[in-house]
Amino acid sequence: MSRSGIGEVTVRTLLSVLAACVVSFAAATAAPSGTQTLSPTEIQMGESATLTITSSGSTASEIAPPAVPGLEFNEVGQASRVQSINGVTSVSASATYQIMAQQPGVYTIPAAVPGAQPVVLTVKPGGQGGGTAGAGAPPGAGGTGAGAGANPGSSAGAAPPANASSLPSGPTQFAADGAAFVRLRLAKHSLYVGESIPVDIEVGLRDGLVASLNGPPILNGDAFTLNPLAAKPQSREEIVEGKPFTVLLWHSLLSAVKPGTLSLTLQTPLTVRFRTPRPGWGSGSNPGDPFDDPIFQNFFRGSFFNLTQKEITVSSAPASFDIEPLPSEGRPASFSGAIGHFSVSSELSEQSATAGDPLTLRLRVSGSGNFDRVRDPMLHDVPGWKTYEPSARFKPADEIGFSGEKVFEQPLIATASGALTLPPIEFSYFDPETHRYEETRTAPLTVQIAPPTGSPRVAQAPQSAPAPSTPASAAPGDGLRPDHVETSGGASTLLPPYATPAGLALPGALLVAFGLTAAWIRRGPQARADRRAQRAALDTEPWLRAMERAQTRNDPDEFFAAAREFLKRTLAARWQLSPDRVTLESVGARLGADSELTRVFKLAEEARYARLDPREIDLQLWGGKVRQQPGAEART
Amino acid sequence: MRAAALALSAALATSVAAGADGEASARSLTRYSAAALYNAGNAAARAGQYAQAILDYERAQLLAPLDADARRNLEVVQARAGAGSVATRDWLRRAHVGPAPALYEAGLVGLLLAGMALLARARWPRSAAAPALRLIGAAGALLLVASVIDALATAPVLKDAVVMQASAATASPTPAGATLFTVPAGETVALEDSHGAFWLIRDAQGREGWVPRSGVERVVPRATDS
Repeated sequence: MSRSGIGEVTVRTLLSVLAACVVSFAAATAAPSGTQTLSPTEIQMGESATLTITSSGSTASEIAPPAVPGLEFNEVGQASRVQSINGVTSVSASATYQIMAQQPGVYTIPAAVPGAQPVVLTVKPGGQGGGTAGAGAPPGAGGTGAGAGANPGSSAGAAPPANASSLPSGPTQFAADGAAFVRLRLAKHSLYVGESIPVDIEVGLRDGLVASLNGPPILNGDAFTLNPLAAKPQSREEIVEGKPFTVLLWHSLLSAVKPGTLSLTLQTPLTVRFRTPRPGWGSGSNPGDPFDDPIFQNFFRGSFFNLTQKEITVSSAPASFDIEPLPSEGRPASFSGAIGHFSVSSELSEQSATAGDPLTLRLRVSGSGNFDRVRDPMLHDVPGWKTYEPSARFKPADEIGFSGEKVFEQPLIATASGALTLPPIEFSYFDPETHRYEETRTAPLTVQIAPPTGSPRVAQAPQSAPAPSTPASAAPGDGLRPDHVETSGGASTLLPPYATPAGLALPGALLVAFGLTAAWIRRGPQARADRRAQRAALDTEPWLRAMERAQTRNDPDEFFAAAREFLKRTLAARWQLSPDRVTLESVGARLGADSELTRVFKLAEEARYARLDPREIDLQLWGGKVRQQPGAEART
Repeated sequence: MRAAALALSAALATSVAAGADGEASARSLTRYSAAALYNAGNAAARAGQYAQAILDYERAQLLAPLDADARRNLEVVQARAGAGSVATRDWLRRAHVGPAPALYEAGLVGLLLAGMALLARARWPRSAAAPALRLIGAAGALLLVASVIDALATAPVLKDAVVMQASAATASPTPAGATLFTVPAGETVALEDSHGAFWLIRDAQGREGWVPRSGVERVVPRATDS
C-alpha cells in the first residue's frame, strides 16, 4: 500500500473511533428519561399504595419522590441496571416508595423524573367511620394513621377501624434493628387482685425483614393471667417512625393474681432475615463494593452477601401495674370473687306446675367484669323444694368476654303443693370504680304447685329441716332410669386412696415394717442361741485330748465317748445346729446308716451300756478317721 | 368466620372456668356420693346439658362401678350427644368392681394379715397353729391381690376427662395450630400430655390432638387443675 493509502486508512479509522466515542458519550450523557407507576390508584385510609419511579441515565440516588401535601413517601427499595448493546451503554435506575395518606382525598403526584407522567391517587375514608371524609378536613382527624394511639377514641367520637385498637398505647420497643416490635395497649395500670381488664397486643412486622411469625404473643409475668388469644389476629398496615409495618392485633383480657407493684411483658417468637457479608469481602466500610459505586452495590449485592434467617424473641416494653388486694372490710358473706359491674334478674320456666314436675330457675347476671369469677349464687336447702346443681353458660357481648351475660339454670322439683315462694337470690360483687362491695338481689318468685294426680306421695312443706331426699320419678319419655335415693355421707374426693401420697406411704410403711421384723426373726433369740452353741462347738480341743488319753490307755469306752462329743461339736458347727441336736438319729439321717461317723455314734451308744472289747477295736484307726474333716455330704 | 372464632375463643376462656376448681366441681359439691352424682347427671341430661351429665355419670360409676342405672343412662346420653368414650377401648377397667376406698382398705387388711401370718410362721415354724396361719395368710393375700387389681383397673380413669364444649383438636399446642379433627362435647378422652394452656388428648378412635384446657374437665379433679 502506498504512503498516501496508509494515511487515508489511518484517518478513516481515527474518524470512526472518534464517532463511536461521541455516540457513546452522547448515549451516556443523554438527558435521562423516566416513568412512574402507581399501584393501586385507589386506597382507603390506613392502607398504602406503591409508587415506582424509573429513570434512564441517572442513578438511584438521584431519584427523589415529589413532595405532595397530605402524603408520606417512604422508600422501600432501589434498583439499578447497566446495559451495553452494540457498544452502546445505558444506565437506568428505579426507586420504590410506599405512600400513606394523612387524610382522605384525591392527590396528584407530579412527575418525579423527566419524561414521567403524573399519577393520581384516590384516598377514601376507610374502616368504621375512621376520620372525617373530604380533602378539606384538618390533618390528624382521621382514623388510626401513623403514630396514632396517644388518646384514641377521642376524635369527635369516631370509632377506630375494626383492625385497630381503641385503648391507650404503651411505648413501642423495637427489636432486631427495627424489624419488629410488640406493643401493649391497656385500659389502666392500677387494678385489684382478680380484676380483669381489656388488653390489646400489637405485633409489628417490617415487610421483607420478618420471614415468619412463629407463635402468638406469650405473657411473661407470674402475677398475671391472660385469656387465650385468637387463632387469627386482625391485621393492618401502619407507618411507625417512617417505616412501613404490618401490625397484627389481638384482643384479650388480663387479670392480676397477687398484689404489689408488678410488671409484665409480652414476647413473640419471630424469624428475621438479615444479610451477612461473605468471607473475603470484609475490608473497609462497604465490604461488598470493591468499586464503591452505588450501581455496583446494587448489581453485585446478592453476590457479596449471604441472606441469613435467625429465630429471635421480641419483647414488649415492660408494663407496670399497681395491684391492690380486695378490702376485707365490708365483704359480704355471699361474695365469691366477682369484680366489675353487674346486675341480676331471675325467672322461673313455669308459673304453675304439678308437684314432682321439674321446673327451671334461671338467674341472669349481666354487665362487665371477670365473669369467670361469677359463681353460682343459686338456691340450696329450700324448704318444700328439691334443688339440683345448677349449670352455667356465658353469652359474651364482645369478642373478649369482658361484657356479656352469664345465665345460671337450676332444676327444681317442688315436694309440696300450694303457692310456694322461692326466696330472692343474693349476688355480691366488688366495683373497682366505687372501690366498694355492692350487693344485689332478685325479687322472690311465687309459683302455684298442684298436688300430683292420683298419688299422695307429696306431703306439705316441712317446717323444720328438710326431709331426706326421696327419689324423683323420671320425667315421662326421657328414656332415663329414675333417680336414686340419696343418703348422707360420701367421699370428700374422687381421687383413689392409692393415688395420694398418704395412700402409697401406708402400705409402703407396712412392707418395710414386715421386712425389718422378718430380718430380726432370722437373727432372733433362737438364732443367737444357735450361734452361741456353734461357737461353743468349735471348742473341741479337750475332747481331742480325751481321745488321745483313751487311746493310750486302750480304753474304747472312754475313746468313743470322747469321739462322740468331738463329732457332736464339729458337726454342729458344720450344720449350724446346737450340739445337743446332733444325735445318732440326726447323723444317721444326714450321713446315712453306713457312714463311719454314724458307726462312731453307735459304738459310743453301746459303750454306755456295755463295755467294748479293746481287742476287737483298732483305736488308732478310729482315731484317724475321727480326726479327718467330718464334712461328709448328707445322704440325699 | 373470624368473629365466630373470636367468640368461641372468648367463650372458651370464660365459660366452665368454675369447673376447674380442683377438688370441688363447678357445681360446688363438697362431698361425692354415687347417688348424688347420678341424680345430678339425670338433671343435667333432662336439661339438655349432655356433657355435664356424662361427667356426672362417669364420676358416679367411679364410686359405684356396678350401678347398672348409671351405666345405662350414660350410654343413652352419649348416644344423644353423639359422643364416644376412650374407656370402651380399655378392657382392664372392667376389673373395677367396687368403690376404690373400700378395696384399698381391704388391701391394707390383707397386707396386714398376710404379713403377720408369714412372720408368725417364721418365728414359730412348728407351732400347732401353722395351718390356721397358712389359711389367714392366704386370705390376706387374696384381699391384697384384689386390691392391686382394682388399683390397676382404676388407674386409667385418672387420665380420663370429658370435653365440655366442642373443640378443634390441633396438631400443635397453639391457637394457630392446624386442625386435625373436631372433638364433640361430651366425648370422654384420655389426657396424654399437657403444654401451657393445652391438653394432648386421645379420643375413642385413638386419634391424638391438642385442645384448650378450659374446655376439658377431668373425671377425677385435681387441685392442680385450677
